[in-house]
Amino acid sequence: MVNINVLITLIPLLPLLGFLIIALNVHKISHKKSSYLACGTILFSFILSITVFTHLLSLPADQRVLSITLVSWIQTSGFSADIAFLIDPLSSIMLLIITGVGFLIHVYSIGYMHDDAGYSRFFSYLNLFVFFMLLLVMGANYLLMFVGWEGVGLCSYLLIGFWFKNHDYNKAANKAFIMNRIGDLGLLLGVILIFINFGSIDYQTVFTNPSEVEVTTLTWITVLLFIGAMGKSAQIPLYTWLPDAMAGPTPVSALIHAATMVTAGVYMVARNNVLYALSPFTLQLILITGLATALFAATIALVQNDIKKVLAYSTVSQLGLMFVALGLGAFSSGIFHMATHAFFKALLFLGAGSVIHALRGEQDIRKMGGLKKLLPVTYITFFVAVLAISGIPPFAGFFSKDEILAHAFAYNPFVWGVALIASLLTVFYMFRLFYLTFYGTARDEKQTMDHIHDAPKSMAIPLIVLAVLSITGGFMNTPEVLLGSSWLQKFLSPVFASASGIEIHHLSHTTEYVLMALVVALTLVVIGIVYVQYVKKGHVPAGEGRLTGIQKVLYHKYYIDEFYDIIIVKPLFWISKTGDTIVEALAIDGIVNSMGRLVTGSSNVLRKLQTGSIGFYIFIMVIGIIMILTLTTLTGVAGQ
Amino acid sequence: MVPIEYYLWLSATLFSIGVLGVLYRRNAIVIFMCIELMLNAVNLVMVAFSNYLNDPAGQVFVFFIMAVAAAEVAVGLAILVMTFRNTKSTDINMLNRLKW
Amino acid sequence: MNALLIVCGLGFISLVAEIINLKKGLHIAIVLGLVVAVAAVIGDWNTSATFFNNMLIFDPFSVAFTCLIIVVGIFWFCLTSPFFIGESHQTDRTALIIFTMVGGIMMVSFHNMAILFLGIEILSISLYVLAGSHKESFFSNEAAFKYFIMGSFATGFLLMGIALVYGATGSFDTSEITMHIEGHKAGLPGFFYVGILLMLVGLAFKISVVPFHFWAPDVYAGSPTMITAFMSTVVKIAAVGAFYKIFGLCFFSVQMSVLPIIQGIIILTLLVANIIAVYQNNVKRMLAYSSIAHVGYMLLGFISGSVKFEGILFFYLASYATTSLIAFGILYAIENAKGSTSIDAVKGLYNQNPFAATCMTIALLSLAGIPPFAGFFSKYLIFGSAIEADHIMLVIVAVVTSLVGVYYYFKPIIYMFSPAQASDKLYLSAVQKAFLGMLTAAALLLGLLPEWIITILS
Repeated sequence: MVNINVLITLIPLLPLLGFLIIALNVHKISHKKSSYLACGTILFSFILSITVFTHLLSLPADQRVLSITLVSWIQTSGFSADIAFLIDPLSSIMLLIITGVGFLIHVYSIGYMHDDAGYSRFFSYLNLFVFFMLLLVMGANYLLMFVGWEGVGLCSYLLIGFWFKNHDYNKAANKAFIMNRIGDLGLLLGVILIFINFGSIDYQTVFTNPSEVEVTTLTWITVLLFIGAMGKSAQIPLYTWLPDAMAGPTPVSALIHAATMVTAGVYMVARNNVLYALSPFTLQLILITGLATALFAATIALVQNDIKKVLAYSTVSQLGLMFVALGLGAFSSGIFHMATHAFFKALLFLGAGSVIHALRGEQDIRKMGGLKKLLPVTYITFFVAVLAISGIPPFAGFFSKDEILAHAFAYNPFVWGVALIASLLTVFYMFRLFYLTFYGTARDEKQTMDHIHDAPKSMAIPLIVLAVLSITGGFMNTPEVLLGSSWLQKFLSPVFASASGIEIHHLSHTTEYVLMALVVALTLVVIGIVYVQYVKKGHVPAGEGRLTGIQKVLYHKYYIDEFYDIIIVKPLFWISKTGDTIVEALAIDGIVNSMGRLVTGSSNVLRKLQTGSIGFYIFIMVIGIIMILTLTTLTGVAGQ
Repeated sequence: MVPIEYYLWLSATLFSIGVLGVLYRRNAIVIFMCIELMLNAVNLVMVAFSNYLNDPAGQVFVFFIMAVAAAEVAVGLAILVMTFRNTKSTDINMLNRLKW
Repeated sequence: MNALLIVCGLGFISLVAEIINLKKGLHIAIVLGLVVAVAAVIGDWNTSATFFNNMLIFDPFSVAFTCLIIVVGIFWFCLTSPFFIGESHQTDRTALIIFTMVGGIMMVSFHNMAILFLGIEILSISLYVLAGSHKESFFSNEAAFKYFIMGSFATGFLLMGIALVYGATGSFDTSEITMHIEGHKAGLPGFFYVGILLMLVGLAFKISVVPFHFWAPDVYAGSPTMITAFMSTVVKIAAVGAFYKIFGLCFFSVQMSVLPIIQGIIILTLLVANIIAVYQNNVKRMLAYSSIAHVGYMLLGFISGSVKFEGILFFYLASYATTSLIAFGILYAIENAKGSTSIDAVKGLYNQNPFAATCMTIALLSLAGIPPFAGFFSKYLIFGSAIEADHIMLVIVAVVTSLVGVYYYFKPIIYMFSPAQASDKLYLSAVQKAFLGMLTAAALLLGLLPEWIITILS
């Protein structure tokens, strides 16, 4: 029997190895080799994750924590951090999702990227991403989590800007990078506060005695950590980067911007449930932010015409729903929804990718239509995903969403109402997208339609596997009212045990049945409306110019990007412009963001000091010497 | 015996003349000479203190300074010759291509 | 001590090699000789002895710094073989480099002001020549000339300082000076303080901090790239070591009178160097400003007066030297291939040579202070000790400026990963690859084991 610690260590190391081998031979390695290497390492990690998971299951419920220390990393007086991994039910579930879904998306990429010039480079980035993501969820202390956190941000940056020849894509990459930095600053400050107050950054030490620290301090810590989560998980007000991040290749959107990285914020809050349980204020804040984001993003998604943008706003909205669960203290429901969401949202993105691939890069749903017959595999799997996200029983989304809605109802019917509206809107825009894409008449150029072909095997198989998962995924946590056993909740309960201090309201079975029936009925009604509108009447959304009123506002995403532009970006530009007009003329546009302009401006002024003339240099030196001598004499420091 | 302050003021003056010369003159050779003047001001201080403290170490140090200064000037002149070949000038203002 | 003699001997060997025509094996012989010298240093590890009537001292600090200088020197020699082989004056250049190292070793192991002066001059005079070793290049000429004029000007101040301190304390011996200061704290004449300040100016020039830094960017940019690498590693180690020996040890009890000035210097250095670096389009010049900025961080650690400072400084210099050798080594290869060190020359490096691009990225990330590389921990330790010493304002300035640093270090990284113009591949010899790989591994390992390095000196 191999030591379990070795297996755990190998899980993140394999993708790293894959990355190193591919990246160092990026030009020499053949496409086949690099894809086999990348997929192989992830597959092996996945198998190891399953092994570790079963090992965990074989242990008694209260002993399901494995922690291993690899290296003592930093040891200074009063501060220590190790390279150590913590495997508990929460991180083992994350491991399965990351390596499992990650593997499927790797396989999918073989087909999707097959004729891309940066094929090997793409796979090396993907592997690097998986490595950092695994580090993030496996780390046993905040520092290691932070390293992973920054690492996935870097990979996301590299992959959004993967097609760097397009200037807009680079801009999107920069936007994501900068917005995430704002969040990271919050996270970093939070971790520093934790260290100051707990004297340690080790999870197990921090979580042992959280109540020793004052509630105010805890609130600060949790709020700061949550700001980090806002950036990574695209919550109001730091969400605008995610829709722009769709510039990356579609598998990237599926892996990073739907299934894994953006859920890092959810994971982090869940990981710190002990701290959050003690600061009701932050929970309220999370609840409100999540609720607002869920509703807000869903309304924007209603009128978007870019297939990936719709999915992106849908992701933002679903993430909001997960935060609602966390804010209600129902941590396991949040994780449950995260898992099912990983399945069906990855599937949606991959399906969308398959459509885009078939239509040679067309992303506008107004130009699609009639693809039902032409792309049968994509059609069926996409349909499954749409049903899952809409919450039709017995698809995965039904169970997870229903759990959150039930908790919301028990907490406050108003919260339930808002969440319900958000999820009905989800149904609306998902079916709108679905009908416009696959039904009606073909609206793309005939030439494209003639050469259309369905997903090749490497793309179809991941689609089918994910579709199966989207159908069955919900059964891992079937609630007791539906004669299930709430397995996931029980499995996760040791992690969230200390958070049980939060009162979670329970509903009577009758109420739950009524609610479920109501939600499903309303969902069906919405589907009916969409069907009539877009299939029966064959309505196709108008172009931008013909939009009116609220539609226009929604189409422009509430003008939030413009708003940020006016209140933050423009004034900074103005300051640096009036500061020095030369700077404007010489500054490298685009690369330099507005803050950068300020620095480059002063840089440009200061560098003129370096005149190149020896006489001037010596003059300044002598001035310096005279200053030093005079100041010392005047202040009389000397001789003290 | 002449008080030590006199020596200090004298060499301070010499030193300042040297510094001013480096600042003011543009001809590289004159600048070398001004730097030598600064070093000689230091030598004067060393010798004065050596005598004042009855300690020969200061005078030995002066030998070090003289030897090193000779080496330094040799190298400096060699660099100047090399530069002169390229610029045909000994004006230090000719040398301002490396900047910003 | 043996190491110093061995290195000196190597210098003479390379001079003689010209006469008896032994150029071919010289390069390898020098590297082997330096390895022997490292062995000799390690033999002296954790011992303490003085030599030549207390002129030189080899205590753990000097031994560690000597070792660092020689090890960096070995790596430097291995990365730069093209600079010597196939060009004229091979033996002269080798001898000058070796003598620079001799001067550097003297600067970290002096026990008498005379040796400090001789060390500085041996190092500087060799460097003046080396800076101008591309005789036909106008830039190289200018660099040598500027360096010479300003260097000898600064030497004048240093010497005046030494003379005044001698007059006040009656000795050139550092421990006697320290004892005299302790004994006569109240009765020190005014010119003693002037002397200290002038020495501060002289040494501030050598470690190139604002406002005595003006020579550095020009000289770094104008000198042949590998000489710049040498200046920013070996020379920097020696100069910072000497600065610490003077102001941290010898003048420890009157440190209070220079601290406010050093604080001002730190703020100016961090701001000016980091901000100007942003606008540089020449990677070499950018690295020059970065090296000025790094000295600012080291001084920040210095004024914090942590008990572990010797260890922290050693770690900082080791990690800085490692990473900047990588950066310069690759820059040198790029310059050989494309004839330029501008930021456009690094464009598409990842496509031309992924190995070089990876090493360079790690080096720049480490210089920027991104975890988990060595540079992060060196900055982290410095900031930590500065916070303990309540220099909050300075730490804020340092943190903000290192954020600015992240910007300018990322610029070449972004360029490296941009698409390449259809140009030729970048070629690295097997030796260069091996040593760059070792240095990169060292940059990672230092990041993993900071504690181990620091405990060497505490």
